[in-house]
Amino acid sequence: MIKYDAVIVGGGVIGSCISYYLTEAGLKVALVEKGDIASGTTSSCDGNILISDKKPGFDTDLAAVSQNLFEELDQKLDYEYDYTKKGSLYLIESQEEWSVAEQFVKEQTANGYAMRMLDYDQVHRDEPLLADDIIGGIEIETDAAVYPMAFTYSLIDKACKNGLKLYNYNSVEDIILDTKGQIESVLLSGGEKIRTTNVINAAGVWAPEIGQMVDLDIPIQPRQGQILVAERTRQVGKRKIVEFGYMMAKFGSKNYKRDIHPILEKYGIAFVFEPTAADNFLIGSSRQFVNFDNRISIEVMKGLAARAIRFFPSMKDINVIRAYAGLRPYVNDHFPIVSAVENVPGFYIAAGHEGDGIGLAPITGKLVEHLIIGNDINIPLDLDFAVQKLSFNRFF
Amino acid sequence: MKDDVIVCRCEEVTLGEIKEAIEAGARTVTDVKRRTRAGMGLCQGKSCEIIVQRQLCKQLNLSSEEAHPARDRAPVRPISFGVLGDEYND
Repeated sequence: MIKYDAVIVGGGVIGSCISYYLTEAGLKVALVEKGDIASGTTSSCDGNILISDKKPGFDTDLAAVSQNLFEELDQKLDYEYDYTKKGSLYLIESQEEWSVAEQFVKEQTANGYAMRMLDYDQVHRDEPLLADDIIGGIEIETDAAVYPMAFTYSLIDKACKNGLKLYNYNSVEDIILDTKGQIESVLLSGGEKIRTTNVINAAGVWAPEIGQMVDLDIPIQPRQGQILVAERTRQVGKRKIVEFGYMMAKFGSKNYKRDIHPILEKYGIAFVFEPTAADNFLIGSSRQFVNFDNRISIEVMKGLAARAIRFFPSMKDINVIRAYAGLRPYVNDHFPIVSAVENVPGFYIAAGHEGDGIGLAPITGKLVEHLIIGNDINIPLDLDFAVQKLSFNRFF
Repeated sequence: MKDDVIVCRCEEVTLGEIKEAIEAGARTVTDVKRRTRAGMGLCQGKSCEIIVQRQLCKQLNLSSEEAHPARDRAPVRPISFGVLGDEYND
């Protein structure tokens, strides 16, 4: 019977990226996915690789390291995934937002990140279809995007060339420990048993279910989001465009209130515009805790459309052709869990990336490589600090 | 039908590309859609879905229900941002 160095549970972007880095490092790896590759949260996101929506400090540093890893991956992967680096623009609606934004940019530029304030004339020259009353913006140079599913297939494609054994349309029935409490094997629903000493739980919103198999309570909850897909059309905006209030919605800042319809507040709606390589665009975003319900709702769709028109009035005449919903793996401190588990030697968690799964996938893969192999992964981050910050221990 | 026949006209996806996606692991119409973009365009699969489904059944020996489980899908027809957003646009 073949014995694997590691078995990854979950074939979303996180599990796939881990499979890429571990097989590149020479490990013998299997990946188990209950459906097709990239069929869960990865298939219902917008493919962002951002530093702009992160808090100054470690949050930004981690995202920036990951953003740089995309450059390297772009040289190494074979299957095309529409990697674009157009930067992003945050829109400022009020003087109050302007002051917060200015402070934010000051702090980020002092830390070496490429951002700048755009005044009224600059922002309207850059994006001529913007609503007249937008007072300014923040431009972030390094933000990028990929077509998320193709990126994930690309990682799997390369990992398979490196020898990855893929078990898609297979689910994990149980994780079996030996008498010393160490990982011994993974039992699949079809009855097959895979021998291994390491299991990596990269099951995203479903990670708690996998954690239960080794008696762990993993604090990840699904936070639903919905997206509208526009028809292929003339250019509306040049790059990713977000309302500055998005960050407030994301972090739930208490001392800040947008002047919006209560319905938009209720569904956590904030304007996000994402032009795609297919010449159409996506409109987000919403945030709701509704358990595992990933159906779209007409009320949220209406709210998303209303908020889009507020920033780009000329979108009125463009058609929405589709809406979809997905479940973000939410952790209450907004950091993913990328960690070994003390009580279960050989069990690792790499989940809980909320809306940052695509962007943080490379650094997550690298960190898991470091945790399992113990090698120096050669990244400009204080590794011990990062490991502590993302540890499963932090909840206890 | 030849492999270079365009099955999804909106996204210009050929039968050959659909066959490749199925070989790579796709088992449902939605799997094929994610891998090839077939069905992601303006008509949202109204033309190509049935051909993709037929190909899945043929290649993987599936029933039509297995190849195409029902999914929620809105809007049924394209609707403008203006009409959709009217109620909460203040």
